[in-house]
Amino acid sequence: MQRPLKRIRLLAALSLAAVLGLGSASTALAVQPGGITDEAHEMHDLFLVMLYFSIALFVIIASALLYAIIRFRRKDDELPKQVHGSNRIEILWTGLPIIIVIILFTLSLITLFDVEKKAKQDALTVEVTGFQYQWQFVYDLNDLGVGEFEGEGTITIIGTPANEPELVLPVNEIVEFTLQSTDVIHSFYVRDFLYKLDLIPGRINTFSVTPRETGVFRAQCAELCGVNHALMRFTVRIVEREEFDEWIKQTAKHQSADQEDEKTVRANEREQ
Amino acid sequence: MDWLTTVDHKKLGILYLWFTLFFFAVGGIFALLVRTQLAVGENTFLANDAYNQIFTMHASSMLFLFIIPIWAGFGNYFVPLHIGAMDMAFPRINALSFWMLPPAAILMFAGFLVDGGAAAGGWTAYTPLSRQAGMGMDLWILAVLLLGMSSTIGAANFLVTMFRMRAPGMTMFRMPIFSWTMLVTALLQLLATPVLAAALAMLFIDRNYGGAFFDPNGGGNVVLWQNVFWFYSHPAVYIMILPGMGIISEILPVFSRKPLFGYKAFVFATMGIGALGFSVWAHHMFTTGAVLLPFFGIMTFMIGVPTGVKIFNWLGTVWGGSISFKSPMLWGLGFVSMFLIGGLNGTFSAAVPVDFALHDTYFVVAHIHYVLFGGSVMAVFAGLYYWFPKIWGRMLDERLGQLHFVLGFIGFNLTFFPMHLLGLDGMPRRIATYANDTGWEPMNLLSTIGAFLIAVSMIPFIINVVLAFRRPPDQPNDPWEGNTLEWATTSPPPVHNFDSLPPIKSERPLFDARQENKDTETN
Repeated sequence: MQRPLKRIRLLAALSLAAVLGLGSASTALAVQPGGITDEAHEMHDLFLVMLYFSIALFVIIASALLYAIIRFRRKDDELPKQVHGSNRIEILWTGLPIIIVIILFTLSLITLFDVEKKAKQDALTVEVTGFQYQWQFVYDLNDLGVGEFEGEGTITIIGTPANEPELVLPVNEIVEFTLQSTDVIHSFYVRDFLYKLDLIPGRINTFSVTPRETGVFRAQCAELCGVNHALMRFTVRIVEREEFDEWIKQTAKHQSADQEDEKTVRANEREQ
Repeated sequence: MDWLTTVDHKKLGILYLWFTLFFFAVGGIFALLVRTQLAVGENTFLANDAYNQIFTMHASSMLFLFIIPIWAGFGNYFVPLHIGAMDMAFPRINALSFWMLPPAAILMFAGFLVDGGAAAGGWTAYTPLSRQAGMGMDLWILAVLLLGMSSTIGAANFLVTMFRMRAPGMTMFRMPIFSWTMLVTALLQLLATPVLAAALAMLFIDRNYGGAFFDPNGGGNVVLWQNVFWFYSHPAVYIMILPGMGIISEILPVFSRKPLFGYKAFVFATMGIGALGFSVWAHHMFTTGAVLLPFFGIMTFMIGVPTGVKIFNWLGTVWGGSISFKSPMLWGLGFVSMFLIGGLNGTFSAAVPVDFALHDTYFVVAHIHYVLFGGSVMAVFAGLYYWFPKIWGRMLDERLGQLHFVLGFIGFNLTFFPMHLLGLDGMPRRIATYANDTGWEPMNLLSTIGAFLIAVSMIPFIINVVLAFRRPPDQPNDPWEGNTLEWATTSPPPVHNFDSLPPIKSERPLFDARQENKDTETN
């Protein structure tokens, strides 16, 4: 009589914990995007390892707790056995977690070194400047990676609250970002890069990624930067190389035309 | 009048409890405002500026005016009782510690009356944003300085009390775990809070007297603020949770009728957390590009180990016990299960590359609330239900207590579990609004409903307290069959605490006394 009852309790506790654990794991799996860069893919893999470890630990500990709650309810006035502890068990449940965290740390270190690899000198470079409350992206026309664009100077994209800026990048090429800020701290966060890095006054931060998917992805500032922090958004558009070159050409033409206009306006002002 | 001039540790403890619970309510109302604003996308319930003030003051009141000082409240009342002392070592300094809180609270909230409003830079007050802010920021700095002073001198008082005032037979390793956690907390406060004070003074000088500690244009360093701030504020996270763990470690044994599993291991784990707590501050700064990532990564992983040991010890305590599910125990088990989640989801951020994605998103908001609500707040309620009969001589009603717990537990998970998913989906924290096409609305709405459910769960609690005060104080010395010395005296205790003390031969003097009584009866 006693044994099957025990087994039922154990099963009940285990299955409840498993349902809770696996349920939350699968929702988490469904939600975290897999990422669109080489670096993001690696970081997502690490995330999955962390997730599996946590779910396993959660299911084990939660089912033990639930089992204890069901099994050891007070039934009579008898005093249970007064166990004060056990050194052997303490060593076991100190030692095992140490091994687990060393494994997880090693894995995270390997991923860290991989994603922190710097781009080569001739890679496409975008200079990102954060300001309250928008972004400025500057492309150096001499620093466009493998493209064949002939020209001098820079292309500058400045966002306004009404007109959120678009960061255009070629697919399958490593791109390096240099981040800086002129006022307060901002944070460059593209969800699908699974990555963010702060823009800090008085400091230049750099990182590189290799996008692998074309498309439009939303992004925004992730460090509280003042009243309109929530509106400091931008989009990332990742396109094929030809399309990128075409976009550069068009934008450069527009901007030099604008600059010409400005020059004539200024010249006219001077004359008057 | 008596309450204004009292130096009795029990009355001061009660003052602390009322004061902090009031700011729990204030912080809670602010949280409801935040959740209302975020319930739907593109909401205009709060302006961006107002939103920033409200969420900053939500965190500031919850952390600085509720959680940190409420442990001083429980500690004030129970540390002297636990170690068999008549009072704290320095009763007048004790009163001073408490009476610094109300002016600090007034200063902090006075921000709403000045130009530019209250502090709006988050409770972390990162520079240079906090340099730009209006006068509310100065008031906030002064308030936090005062609170820091209060907790520093309070900490010194607790340490001296525990080192010098223990009753005969009460050796260090017979002290109740709650006192041990208060001891380690006091050490953390004594060592870390002066660093915060220095940081705040530097910020004040930067803002008002042309200093450039944190100003790169004057040769200062922006990231320096984050280093000094987190050097205090990470240990402060343990200041906010360790005494809660202590309360749970008192309650689980009583309601399982077993001693705490691995008393010494628990003490060493607490010390381990305290020591490691000083080496992990930069895990809040992984995305600044300005800290040594592997070092802070491994230390953060490591601090999970003593935390895990505690969870296993609690499990070992209830295992094989004779468990009764009274309200304090419900909150205690709620603490263990929710803190387990708060521990596991914290390890994600210890893996530096995973943190690159999760940092400053709602995943982190979920984590801190699983630790500070699922942990600390549940421990507060466990402690209130457990010690209510001792402090006020009246028992809280069980049925209302159960209702409070069930609603609160469901509301809590409904509020904070969806935040994990929002964070993974890329929703940054501290944003006043979000676009409709982000797809974040359903989870936010769920979270808002949960928040209001938590608010509803407070109704049976308030009714319970009001009804209890309408009953006469009739509780016996020891309604729960407790283990520790506070149950050896009347409820509430007399001014001098004890007429006589039972012999103290273990960490459970009352259990020993009960057993002896039974033995003599049977003989």
